[in-house]
Amino acid sequence: MSLTASLSASTSARRTPRASLLSKRRRRVGVMLILPALALVGLLIAYPIGQAVYYSFTNWDGLTTQWVGPSAWVQAFHNPTMWTALKNNGELLLSVPFALGIPLLVAVMLHQRVAGWKIFRSIYFLPTAISWVVIGLVAEHFFAYSGTMNSLLSDIGFSGIHTNMLGQENQALIALGVTFVFSMIGTNTMLFLTGLATLDPSLEEAARIDGAGAWRIFRHITLPHLSRFIQLAFVMTVISAFSALFSLIFVMTGGGPGYSTTTMEFLVYQTGFNQSMFGTAALYGIILFVITALVGIIQLRLIGAKDS
Amino acid sequence: MTVLASPPDALTVNAPKPTRSLARRRLGRTLIFVAMAIMAVIMLYPFAVMILISFKTNAQYLIGSSGTSTQTWQQINATLPIWQELWNSTVVCSLSILLILVIGVMAGFSFAKLQFRGGNVVFLAIVSAMMVPLQAILIPEFVNIAKTGLTNNYLGAVVVYAALGTPFSIFLFTTYFRRIPDELIEAGIVDGLGYWGVLWRLAMPMALPAIATVTVLQFIQIWDDLLVGLLFLQNPGERTITVGLAALAAGHTTSIPLLMAGSLVSAAPAMIVYLVFQRFLVRGLTMGIDR
Amino acid sequence: MAEIVFDQVAKVYPGGNTAVENLSLHVADGEFMVLVGPSGCGKTTALRMIAGLEEITDGTISIGGQVVNNVLPKDRDIAMVFQNYALYPQMTVGQNMGFALKIRNVPKDEIKRRVSEAAKILRLTEYLDRRPKALSGGQRQRVAMGRAIVREPQAFLMDEPLSNLDAQLRVEMRSEISRIQRLLGVATIYVTHDQTEAMTMGDRVAVMRGGVLQQVATPEDLYDHPANAFVAGFIGSPPMNLLNATLVESEGTLRARFGDQSVEVPARYRQTHRLDENLTRPLLLGVRPEDLVVANADAPGRFSATVALREALGSEILAHLNFGGEDVIVTDEAQASAPASHSTRVVARLGARAKVTVGERIDLTLNPENLHFFDAQSGETLRVSR
Repeated sequence: MSLTASLSASTSARRTPRASLLSKRRRRVGVMLILPALALVGLLIAYPIGQAVYYSFTNWDGLTTQWVGPSAWVQAFHNPTMWTALKNNGELLLSVPFALGIPLLVAVMLHQRVAGWKIFRSIYFLPTAISWVVIGLVAEHFFAYSGTMNSLLSDIGFSGIHTNMLGQENQALIALGVTFVFSMIGTNTMLFLTGLATLDPSLEEAARIDGAGAWRIFRHITLPHLSRFIQLAFVMTVISAFSALFSLIFVMTGGGPGYSTTTMEFLVYQTGFNQSMFGTAALYGIILFVITALVGIIQLRLIGAKDS
Repeated sequence: MTVLASPPDALTVNAPKPTRSLARRRLGRTLIFVAMAIMAVIMLYPFAVMILISFKTNAQYLIGSSGTSTQTWQQINATLPIWQELWNSTVVCSLSILLILVIGVMAGFSFAKLQFRGGNVVFLAIVSAMMVPLQAILIPEFVNIAKTGLTNNYLGAVVVYAALGTPFSIFLFTTYFRRIPDELIEAGIVDGLGYWGVLWRLAMPMALPAIATVTVLQFIQIWDDLLVGLLFLQNPGERTITVGLAALAAGHTTSIPLLMAGSLVSAAPAMIVYLVFQRFLVRGLTMGIDR
Repeated sequence: MAEIVFDQVAKVYPGGNTAVENLSLHVADGEFMVLVGPSGCGKTTALRMIAGLEEITDGTISIGGQVVNNVLPKDRDIAMVFQNYALYPQMTVGQNMGFALKIRNVPKDEIKRRVSEAAKILRLTEYLDRRPKALSGGQRQRVAMGRAIVREPQAFLMDEPLSNLDAQLRVEMRSEISRIQRLLGVATIYVTHDQTEAMTMGDRVAVMRGGVLQQVATPEDLYDHPANAFVAGFIGSPPMNLLNATLVESEGTLRARFGDQSVEVPARYRQTHRLDENLTRPLLLGVRPEDLVVANADAPGRFSATVALREALGSEILAHLNFGGEDVIVTDEAQASAPASHSTRVVARLGARAKVTVGERIDLTLNPENLHFFDAQSGETLRVSR
């Protein structure tokens, strides 16, 4: 259109400033509103990470700091305690399938809307409101020599088994794992239930009309839809396994017997505040961070791959 | 002598027999009910334990007798500074949550509705902070706060709790605010509000469900937290109830009934908050997930 | 004086997309101006630029004689009715309507007075204490209008306010809005994609397409003298028939040939339209459906066609007719919405009692009083401007 060409020449003399008053204000308010969040997260989360990296290279005991350099890291990797801790974390990861599978079953059951399901839902989530400390105390009682587990077992008939799981090196971790699964049931069930609620019921109905049985419906319709939620639950559960377990360990076993229940998150506390080796503790903390970050990134990649 | 009500025809001969599958479904549902009931018993176990044991004296517990007494409950005030610790927990929780809400609502609204250059990057950066485990930053954090002298003060813990809880709350609020139609904000602008006014007079009142969700989740998180309280509120006068309980447990001369009673006291508030607000929790979580 | 003036206004988005191009338009005080056009034509963008919700890339917009390019929306003294009403969900109807005044610290009794007056005009008085979610679509729409009325602004801006209502309610509200606007006498700019709304409500109508203003005129003018083929095909339902035709002169008479038919064109059209210079060049012959009449046996300018489809509406019969010849269909794909021009197909609007059956071959004439001619390439009318 030849008209525009001639017109744009004459209007360029009357150029008005680019950004309108409104959009300038919008930008200004926008930036101001995020400053507090930025400051808080930056100062209290991002900055300390950098500091932790620095400290990990030092020999700091709370009084004097001595730069040690990469050898601090080499030393750490030669430390058998750290490897034990990592091994413990790894073994605890074996409980993750249970921490996901059981809630999945429970959520599916709740989803059937059998009479009273709302009450059941409230009950299942109730333990989540309690502190890990409290759960740990109750669990300690459960697993103790004169505790409930043993009396249950003898009621069933296994009176021969009479152990103090928390006192045995190779059993304490199992007790810890069981308690961990128990604690995660509430949150993960809620998560899966939410996911099931977003599932379009007409899909299920169509499948049923087509003749699919309950198992088939579950495998081909329910599970694929839930995959996003399962992934989220997986990440959250694994991250909990690497950080939230602290309270359980603190209360139930104190890391023992020996180092059999010392995990990385507990090791950080122990090394730093019991042994005053802040530099090494920071180092362990960094390792912990790298692991959780890796898990998160791998998950993101997987999600991204599936969605594309 | 039987009389056929209607002659059998092709339509009815192959129709599914309603009575049989109905019975099967009833059986299935009963089984599910039974399974859920068993599950409920398992889930309620900790509460049963706490209640049962706390109503014994230490002596009764050690012997294994089935007697009950309220002695432990009567003594609890003397052995545990319960009221002080409950008060501390309440103050710390309230202040932290207030901070989290204010900062979260402001940032959430900005990210959702006030697009500006680099906003997305900042959003991702803040949200990814959710994945940083506390232990990784614990040591430097402690040192920093100790240097500013806030370790024996509510403020240190409050600020740490706020920093830990803000990323998630921003995530939730951003998702929530995105659902507000742009038209609504424009109507406010044409009516005469600035963006600040739009946030506090229009958007925030609409976000009450999200605010409730964040409040409940953070309350539980902070009330039940051990590690931060342990390190940042070392002064016994400022201890939270959870830390107090853990300290009690660490001292191995403590009686179990006492521990159980203390556990109940510590668990009760969070449970009450959850029960009261559960409606919002379900609604809020659903909204946060399907964006 | 609350006139609104667009002076060579343009809106270009950062990606290079031009939404509005060189728009110049003058809306008089108290006038009801409708901006109409297909989606993406720039009408809503133009409206939002008046409101201040969109930046103005070029040109100026003035309200009441004052250039408002750099004035905040709230200082422009305009009120807007949004397509989805945008009512504040946490407030009652009364609070919604009074909100803008409350912000400006207007005294409470003044707010109350204005709100109850507006509620009376809109018949909302009994709903003043309800929340928006307890209202029907029509009621919400009226609340949105009430919110604007209460402001007593210099101009009303309405963005497709009726498009979310069902057909019957729409007809009702059309007259409501017209009535209220006449009552209040406030300049109004009304955006719609529905040409019926444009025709029935506007004092003047501005037709836009692809960001460019096609024509601005009264509804009658738009209907009788469309400036180009797009306007001709857009205004009026069913749309004007646009036939690919050529003019030939044979024995002194002018004939228009389309398909395998040919019709005489009265000589006076040579004065009113630039036909002579367009002989043998392809052009578009425009005939409105009501200007196709079933012919008597000896009517001049008649041609025959076969009935392909018959739509009986009760008040009239729409007959879709085919005739022979090569069917050249021209569609403007770049901005579809103007109907395609055909060579061999027309729609005729016949009386309710007309006897036509599908497959029947009938004779029609074009009403010689009402022929339109457009250049086939540019779409511009060949009518000589007065």
